[in-house]
Amino acid sequence: MEVFFQQLVNGLSLGGIYALIALGYTMVYGIIELINFAHGDVYTLGTFFTLAVLTALGVSGELHGLPLIGVILLAVIVSMLLCGIVGVLIERLAYRRLRNAPRLAPLITAIGMSFILENVMQLWKGPSPVPLPDFFPNPALDVGGVSISAKSILVICLALVMMVSLQLFISKTKIGKAMRATAQDRDAAQLMGININTTIAMTFLIGSALAGAAGFVSGVYYGTTWFFNGFEAGLKAFTAAVLGGIGNIPGAMLGGFVIGLVEAIATQYIPGGQQWSNVIVFSVLVLVLIFRPAGLLGEALPEKV
Amino acid sequence: MHARNALVRLSAALVLGALAASTTPLSLGTPASAQGAQVIKIGIDLPVSGGDAAQGIPTQNGALLAISDANARHAFGPFKLEADPLDDAVAGAHDPAQGAQNVKTFVSDSSVLAMFGPFNSNVAKAEIPISNDAGLAMIAASTTNPGLTKGEDAKKLRISHPDVNTFFRVCTTDDRQGSVGASFARKFGYKKVFIVDDNETYGKGLADVFEADFKKDGGTVLGHEHLTKGQTDFKALLTKAEGLGPDLIFFGGTTVTGGGLLRKQMGDSGLKGVTYFGGDGISDATFITTAGAMATNTYYTVAAPNPAKLPSAQAFITAYKKAYNTDIGAYSANAYAAAMIEIAAIEKALKSNGGKMPTRAEVLKNIAATKNFETPIGKIGFDANGDTTAGILSLYKITNGKAEFIDQVTEGGS
Repeated sequence: MEVFFQQLVNGLSLGGIYALIALGYTMVYGIIELINFAHGDVYTLGTFFTLAVLTALGVSGELHGLPLIGVILLAVIVSMLLCGIVGVLIERLAYRRLRNAPRLAPLITAIGMSFILENVMQLWKGPSPVPLPDFFPNPALDVGGVSISAKSILVICLALVMMVSLQLFISKTKIGKAMRATAQDRDAAQLMGININTTIAMTFLIGSALAGAAGFVSGVYYGTTWFFNGFEAGLKAFTAAVLGGIGNIPGAMLGGFVIGLVEAIATQYIPGGQQWSNVIVFSVLVLVLIFRPAGLLGEALPEKV
Repeated sequence: MHARNALVRLSAALVLGALAASTTPLSLGTPASAQGAQVIKIGIDLPVSGGDAAQGIPTQNGALLAISDANARHAFGPFKLEADPLDDAVAGAHDPAQGAQNVKTFVSDSSVLAMFGPFNSNVAKAEIPISNDAGLAMIAASTTNPGLTKGEDAKKLRISHPDVNTFFRVCTTDDRQGSVGASFARKFGYKKVFIVDDNETYGKGLADVFEADFKKDGGTVLGHEHLTKGQTDFKALLTKAEGLGPDLIFFGGTTVTGGGLLRKQMGDSGLKGVTYFGGDGISDATFITTAGAMATNTYYTVAAPNPAKLPSAQAFITAYKKAYNTDIGAYSANAYAAAMIEIAAIEKALKSNGGKMPTRAEVLKNIAATKNFETPIGKIGFDANGDTTAGILSLYKITNGKAEFIDQVTEGGS
């Protein structure tokens, strides 16, 4: 039984990272119905920004107390801010002028942006895996034989905090209201005096900043990164967003955790399960979509005319 | 209007191109065909970018050194020997489709008489049918999967000419590497192993042999799992392994297919103190940088002798250091030996052809007939399958970020 709970911890930690990335996918899709394939690479960029902050601060060994909190805050904020800016730039340079183009054009552009980011990162940090300094002390909490490491707690808590604040932001603030209005009907929102460009840029800023936060926790959790990191993580996070109901924020979160858990449990309980873990994840996706085509928490909306 | 403009531009470009083509031979003063005939090329196919570069570059350097040595002593008379190096890594890792494409490039260039490479077994699997079809001899320094040369698997690769072998290697095979690894592990007292491989030709092949031999030597195999391509999270897998209580984790695969990250993440699990064992796929500097502090307490085998221990290799080691200003890699000396064999075969073919450009078939025949050929790694000959008759395996251990030579085993007759 301990093993089962241990796998729950593993699955939730992995799922937390997927969930943070999935939030960005789902926000962008919700507002402009674009699958932003460059999003996974913005996440990788977040790991590199974290690395750059740690290098600039000269962090090399384990930190404690105030310096630890200071470094965490600085790394999270810088990584989120820079990723947010990158996201806004991508929207401004690549997607905005295609907003009224046929759907396929922005989709292909997104794939192109993904390639550009990957290659820029390869030029910047080289094509091999890059280690991050291991500054985060990792005492494990022992709960009845299940060890919950401080890093796992960090990942899960950060993911939950981010989701709750995002949900509050969207439901309680004026900008959030503008986002919801734009998502519902862009033209009508514009007629009501909402600045569409600012609202969409804001969506990219927040979504990409969340990818930056995911990049930070993944850098701490795995202690390593490389330029191609975002490909698989992005694919899984996208799957998580679809599983939870794309466009739905708690859904993206739920989807991320479900995928992380399914992967961990499949690895544990199926003989030779590791190689089947992806097959099982995607089978779950197919099954859910058969019975709930809009995803776990998604609402079936009538097609917009 | 637009279309017409484009048409005008296109035709102008065509005219210019035609002019350029017709003036080039004139300005050089020699016919293009004679110009081409002065060069003999050896194609080199290795992964030289991405995580694999840590293995690919030192291997490529070994072959390049042999080629520049041959040019220095004017081995080919009027012909100049050139290397044609291509990269088979795509998105940071070796790629069979890219390797196959590279071999097609070599085949279409009539001045390429032989090729060196590839580095990885799954790439070789994609390349052998093409080289077999074209009759282009290839020698590899490090591809250890037995199915490339032996038995039914090898026959299936020789599609166009089932009775002709074009693939040779100067390293021994994984049926040897895996069983030597297993017997070392048992000798050191490890009893319970958990095996992980990357599900590639090389990694799975090696892990399967290790599993069979570890059992045969009286050990227990607790489990054998295969990774998925691109996987970066191994925590669930390690929890599963931990629950079984292994005293050894064996990894079949390379550093970039998961070998480095798996070892690193063992540090965050209950398997922190458990020994790690692998094959030549993790015998590179990237493994140590990827695994970080966890690289320590890792054993790996290499399908090559330790050149530092061989009197015949000392001159090569010095020359390599002088040429590239670094120490040799695990397969540099093997690469040098493989290129030497190809150069000697071309030289012999030139002589018997009266100094005229030899054919690929003549070069292939000479390579296949190699017996007792002196190289820095000892005397090499090829058996009917194209495998070396002198297979030496060595064992290394990483302690505090440095790999140290432990022991070596010489193939006894088989």
